[in-house]
Amino acid sequence: MNAIAEKYAEDGVASVFLYTNEAHPAEHFPHLTSMEQKFHHAAALRDELGVSRPILVDALDGPCHRAYGSMPNMTWIFNRAGQAIYKSDWTDANSVANALEYYLDISRRRKDRESLAPFTVQRLDYRNADRLAFFKGLTRNGRQAVDDFIKAFGLPPKEFHWEDRDSADDAD
Amino acid sequence: MTSELLRQYNYDEFLPEKFMPWMRFEESPALGVAAPDFPLWRLEDRARTLLAEWWSKNLYLVVEFGSFT
Repeated sequence: MNAIAEKYAEDGVASVFLYTNEAHPAEHFPHLTSMEQKFHHAAALRDELGVSRPILVDALDGPCHRAYGSMPNMTWIFNRAGQAIYKSDWTDANSVANALEYYLDISRRRKDRESLAPFTVQRLDYRNADRLAFFKGLTRNGRQAVDDFIKAFGLPPKEFHWEDRDSADDAD
Repeated sequence: MTSELLRQYNYDEFLPEKFMPWMRFEESPALGVAAPDFPLWRLEDRARTLLAEWWSKNLYLVVEFGSFT
């Protein structure tokens, strides 16, 4: 998503990351209890996970996140008039890039004074589903995040071993 | 902001009974109409801003929601 932000910035597309609640709280990044902690976690997202887009932090009870459906990693696109024109219950860079190409073309057609009328379309997009990488990502949060996910959705891929964790630190 | 809402929204375990109540994408705002605006805080300087300030200054605004975890 950082690459998408850079690619389309010159076309007038701004990109931000909106910090929400913790989806998979664990020892290293527990559930949020204060704004100070929320800013601290958001800084870790920037510094450790490399999110280079501006990060905007929602209030502690998540009014913005909740109003937009409170999914853990969704993406929305807004136009200058303040209308949502794209919403996705999961973030996928290919899907977002595909949408931006379409909307930038719409902007060009408007400049050419083409008469356009909006309509709504529903579409099923597809994302990469690398369960091994996902489980390795959970290890950054702490062992509880892995254990909770296994309880909810079953065992990880057989290739996954706790020792393969992404983080060099282990709270245990 | 009630303490119960704070506790439930910021759940402490990824358990279905705790996270499933927040999966409300089907209830989210419709496309093509005025979107709800909210105050937010910039990480870089903790200054208050509005979502509308960002969408009003750009042709399009991409907003990814998420967290470290």
